[in-house]
Amino acid sequence: MSASEIEITAAEWLRRSEEPEWSVADQAALDAWLGESMAHKAAYWRLEHGWRMADRIRALGPSTGPAPRTAHRWPAWRYGALAASLCAVILSASLLRLERPRAAPAAVARFDTRVGGHSVVPLPDGSRIELNTGTRLRTNISERGREVWLDRGEAYFEVAHREGLTFVVHAGPRTVTVLGTKFSVRRDGDIVHVAVVEGRVRIDDSARDAPAASAIVTRGDVALAQGDSTLVTTRSIERVEGDLAWREGRLAFDRTTLAAAAAEFNRYNRVQIAVTDPAVASIRIGGTFQAANVEAFVRLLQEAYGLKVQRNGDRITISG
Amino acid sequence: MVDDEALKRWFCQEVLPLEGSLMAFIRRNWRESGEVVDLRQDIYERVLNGARHALPEHATAYVYTIARNHLINCAKRSRIVSFDLVADLDEAYQSVEIFHPERQLLARDELKRAYTGLDQVPARCREVVRLRKVEGLSTRETANRLNIGIDTVEKQTTLGMRALVDFMLGGSGKVRRPESRGRNRQRGWS
Repeated sequence: MSASEIEITAAEWLRRSEEPEWSVADQAALDAWLGESMAHKAAYWRLEHGWRMADRIRALGPSTGPAPRTAHRWPAWRYGALAASLCAVILSASLLRLERPRAAPAAVARFDTRVGGHSVVPLPDGSRIELNTGTRLRTNISERGREVWLDRGEAYFEVAHREGLTFVVHAGPRTVTVLGTKFSVRRDGDIVHVAVVEGRVRIDDSARDAPAASAIVTRGDVALAQGDSTLVTTRSIERVEGDLAWREGRLAFDRTTLAAAAAEFNRYNRVQIAVTDPAVASIRIGGTFQAANVEAFVRLLQEAYGLKVQRNGDRITISG
Repeated sequence: MVDDEALKRWFCQEVLPLEGSLMAFIRRNWRESGEVVDLRQDIYERVLNGARHALPEHATAYVYTIARNHLINCAKRSRIVSFDLVADLDEAYQSVEIFHPERQLLARDELKRAYTGLDQVPARCREVVRLRKVEGLSTRETANRLNIGIDTVEKQTTLGMRALVDFMLGGSGKVRRPESRGRNRQRGWS
């Protein structure tokens, strides 16, 4: 493969990694491709770095594209596109006024982390967001409103208080509204999990206006929302902090089933743990582990619990 | 061994800012302009392979030495090497200072450059990149918005990405299109 062919392939990977369909399996395939040769890494890292530098153009905002050098030579399709984007801007503005956008309108900035990744994003309003593994979110922060769409994954929010200006997190079927607080939102498809460290937040059903569907969650509470129901449990602040151990690259388990613990590890690593035996899957375990250290966890299962461990490439099977 | 994350960080912070100088150096010492990009990527590969064991302290001198050795080796291999080329290269070695990292761009400069770079690419490519970067649209959403095929958006994104990255790193912002495209279609885009 010539250098330009490698560059084109690398650009394809980079483009695909930004798509909403990007999966853990895709990430594994990309990692494998990168692992094939240093030339692949050189091409991919270079593109990724330069492409991130170009993120500055987000500052232009959705309504102001670069001025055309020769406007009269624009092909007709551009006028259509321009009209379409104007429509979209007007449409999203009216949705915002209704305060209940159904679909995410054009967002100003987009951030993501890959499997095992962790990054901190400072926002222009002084708030900050910490993204956990395999997370994608979009932000639209302005004088008029502050909105975040959590497309997938988990994030911890420290919201700067702004008088009268709410901070809204859209997490699929739920909308979380706050004034200034510290909390995390995790989204596994349609299941939304909210843990509050400080202050209080309101959780609404994204699809309905009924205030009856609202739940207020305060410090030390954990809310689990799925379908029509939102379950709020009061936990000790230590438990909430356990939920947020990922911020230090740790996973904290307390009487957690082995199946759930394995699923947690799988969120952070390419190596995937499978627990085949139902009796083994329901064993409850506790402790704190480095999220990236699957080996230490598996060794513990083997030595302390006497479980059988089978390795096959990137798959580790645990049985009794 | 240096882990991938540290290697990548070093590559982005210490090596990529040298790209403008590196390209100028290759161009000055290589006659076949069509091979410049390939040479640059070969040099990057060698730079990374060498740094994998321990990160070099002086990135500039290190990259320069690898670039120079690589050019001399390629010149020897191609058998059309003129004595002048090697002599030039030796002379150039005396002046490592021609190799300097681009100063850290301020946010404002970066925006300006991204803006100018975007203005360089063909119109359709520019619109696709703008929708993606500024409005955060996915490929599918962009295709719907512009009412064009998904594969067209994919190709335009890849092309725009390569051109814009080249420009951001101090290049001209012009990249070679994939070979399979006909000339007529190319003309139709710009």
